[in-house]
Amino acid sequence: MKHALTAAFLLALSLATAAETPKGDAERGRLVFGQCRTCHYPEKAYGDHNGPNLYGIFGRKAGSVPSYAYYSEEMKKAGFDWTPELLDFWLANMGKFLPASTMVVFETTPQQRADIIEYLRQFKD
Amino acid sequence: MSDKKAGTSRRGFLKQLGMAAAGAAAFGAEAAAPKPRKDVRRWDATTDLLVMGSGAGGISAALEARRSGIQAMVLEKFHVPGGSSSLSGGVCYLGGGTALQKALGFADTVEDMYRYMTAASGLYADEKKIQLYCEGSVAHFDWLVANGVRYAQKFSEEKEISIPDGSLYYCGSELVHPYREQARPAPRGHVPPSPHLIGGRDLMKALTRAALDAGVQLKLRCSAERLILESDGSVAGVSATDENGKSINIRATRGVVLAAGGFIHNRPMLERFAPELARCSVPWGRAGDLGQGILMGMAVGGAVQRMHHGFVILPMYPPETILNGILVNSRGQRFVPEDGYYGLVGHEIAFKLDDGQAYMIVDKPHAFAWKDFRFNVAAEAATVAELEGRLKLPEGSLQQTVEYYNRHAKDKRDPLLHKAEKYLAPLKEAPFVAYDVGLKNTFMPVHTFGGLQTNVDAQVINAWGDPIPGLYASGRTSAGLPVAPYIGSGVSIGDGTFFGRRAGRHAAGRKA
Repeated sequence: MKHALTAAFLLALSLATAAETPKGDAERGRLVFGQCRTCHYPEKAYGDHNGPNLYGIFGRKAGSVPSYAYYSEEMKKAGFDWTPELLDFWLANMGKFLPASTMVVFETTPQQRADIIEYLRQFKD
Repeated sequence: MSDKKAGTSRRGFLKQLGMAAAGAAAFGAEAAAPKPRKDVRRWDATTDLLVMGSGAGGISAALEARRSGIQAMVLEKFHVPGGSSSLSGGVCYLGGGTALQKALGFADTVEDMYRYMTAASGLYADEKKIQLYCEGSVAHFDWLVANGVRYAQKFSEEKEISIPDGSLYYCGSELVHPYREQARPAPRGHVPPSPHLIGGRDLMKALTRAALDAGVQLKLRCSAERLILESDGSVAGVSATDENGKSINIRATRGVVLAAGGFIHNRPMLERFAPELARCSVPWGRAGDLGQGILMGMAVGGAVQRMHHGFVILPMYPPETILNGILVNSRGQRFVPEDGYYGLVGHEIAFKLDDGQAYMIVDKPHAFAWKDFRFNVAAEAATVAELEGRLKLPEGSLQQTVEYYNRHAKDKRDPLLHKAEKYLAPLKEAPFVAYDVGLKNTFMPVHTFGGLQTNVDAQVINAWGDPIPGLYASGRTSAGLPVAPYIGSGVSIGDGTFFGRRAGRHAAGRKA
C-alpha cells in the first residue's frame, strides 16, 4: 500500500513537470540507449542481460519479468506499472527513487531521457 | 605606458590563471586536490591497505592484502559492488598452458603468449609487465579458480564470447594476419560460462565473496575523494564521504590503492585527454567511471600515460557471415582486415580515419535479414557502380576496390589485407548493401585505457620516474597492459586482477 501511494505521488509529480519534457527521437535514442546495453536488451529475442529484458516495458508491472532472477526486494515490491513518466523520473532522480534497486543509474539530460523513452516505445507487441 | 602595459599583461595573466583553474574544476581536478596530514584532526577509521573501488583491480588488491596478512578496506561509491568489471563479459586473457587450455587440448607457451602480446601492443608494449604477466598466467588462472570463479570445460569457435556455455575462445587477433605468422595462435579468452555475455557478474561475485570471507571490509555508498599526504609526500590515507554524507578521514598505514575505473563518463575530462574517444557514440562502463582515482593520483604528482588510448568496439559480429563483406573508407578503399578483433577494426575507424566514416559493403547472401540496432543501411543498389554513386564515393573507387577484391577472393586470396580464407568470397549477388559503420551513426562502445603510470608492483610513478610512497593504482585507473588498438578481450580484467594482486602483496611488505 505504501508503495502504491508513493508511486501515485511520484506519478502526479512527474505529470506536473511533463509540460517541460523535450520531444524524444527514436533514432537518436538508438545510440543514447547504447550505454544502457551493458545491462539491458530491448529486443525480445535477446532475453535478459545483467538487467531484465525491456521488451514491452511500458504498462508492465515493475519487477515482473519471470525469467529475470536478480531483482532487488525493492523492485519486486515496487507495486506500480512502468510508464514513460516514471522511467523518466527514476533516471532523473538517481539514488532518491528506488535507491535500493540493483541498477546503478547514469546521469542523463532531459533530452537524452526523452530519446531513450522514445526508442523503448518501439519495442512492444 | 610601460606600467599600463605591465598592468594589462598582469591582469591578463591572472585572468588566464583563473580560466585554467575553471578548466581544471570543469573535469573535477580541483575536487581531487590532496589534503595535508596536519589538517586531519582525527581519524575516523584505520586500516592497513585502503582500496578505492570494488571492481576487479580493487577487490584483487584487497584479497591479496588479506592473504598476505594485513588488513584491507574497500570503499565503493555506489550501493552495489563490482564496478564496470561486474557488467563486463568477464573474460580474462590468460595462456601459456593454463589448466583449461590443457584440458581442452590446446598447446600454448609463455613465449607464444608473450610474442602475441608484444607484437599486437606495438610501440606501447610494456615488456616487463607483459613478461611477468605471461609467466604468471597459469598460476593466475589457478588463483581465479581457487577463489571460486567457475569455468566450463568447453571451447567455442565463435569470435564473440560463446553463448550459452563456452569458456575458452580466441578472443583477440591471434588468427589474424600478421599475428598468426608471428606467434603460434592459441585461444586465451577464459570466461565463466554465461547465457548472455554476463560472465563479469559471476566473476565479481566469486572474487567479492572470497574477499569478504578473507576478512576484507567493504564499505558501500562511501566515496573516496582526496588523498591525505604526510609532509614527506607519502600517502597517509584518504578523505571520503560516507553513506550518510558525512566527511570522514581514513588512515591507511600501508598504502592506498586507487582502483576507481577509467574516465569514460567524465565528458570534460574525455574531451580534454581523449578526443578520439569523445567522438564515439557509446560510453561503455558503469556510472562510476568518472576519472576520480586518476585525478587524485595526478593531484599528488602521479604521471599519466596513454590518456587517449581506449577500446573502440565495432561489433559487426555475430553473425560472422557479415565478415565476408569489405570495409571501405570514404575514398572507397579497404583499410583493415575485416576479420580483425572488433577492437582493432573500431580503432582503425576512430583513430585513423579523419572523417571517421566507413561502410561495410556486402552482397545479398551476407546482408542481415533484419534491421539491426548496431548500424543502419546507408544505401542499397543493383550494381556496385550504383552503390558507389549513392554513397557519393569518388568515381570508380569502389568499383576498382571490389573488382580487385573479387579477382583474388575467388581464389581464396587477399593479397592486400590477408583476411582469413573462410571469409573470402567474391561480392557478386545483387542487391549490394552498404552499412553505415561511421562513428556518427554506429553503435560503437568505447572505454578508456589511459591512467596513472605504474611499475610492475602497481606503485604510482611520479614525473621523475620514482614511486610515490604508499600509492598504488590498478585496473583502468592505471595505464596497464591494455593499449590501443585493444589486442583482445580480457586483457583489462587480466591486468586489473594480476597487478591488483601485486599491489596488495607489495603493500603488505611495506613498513607500517
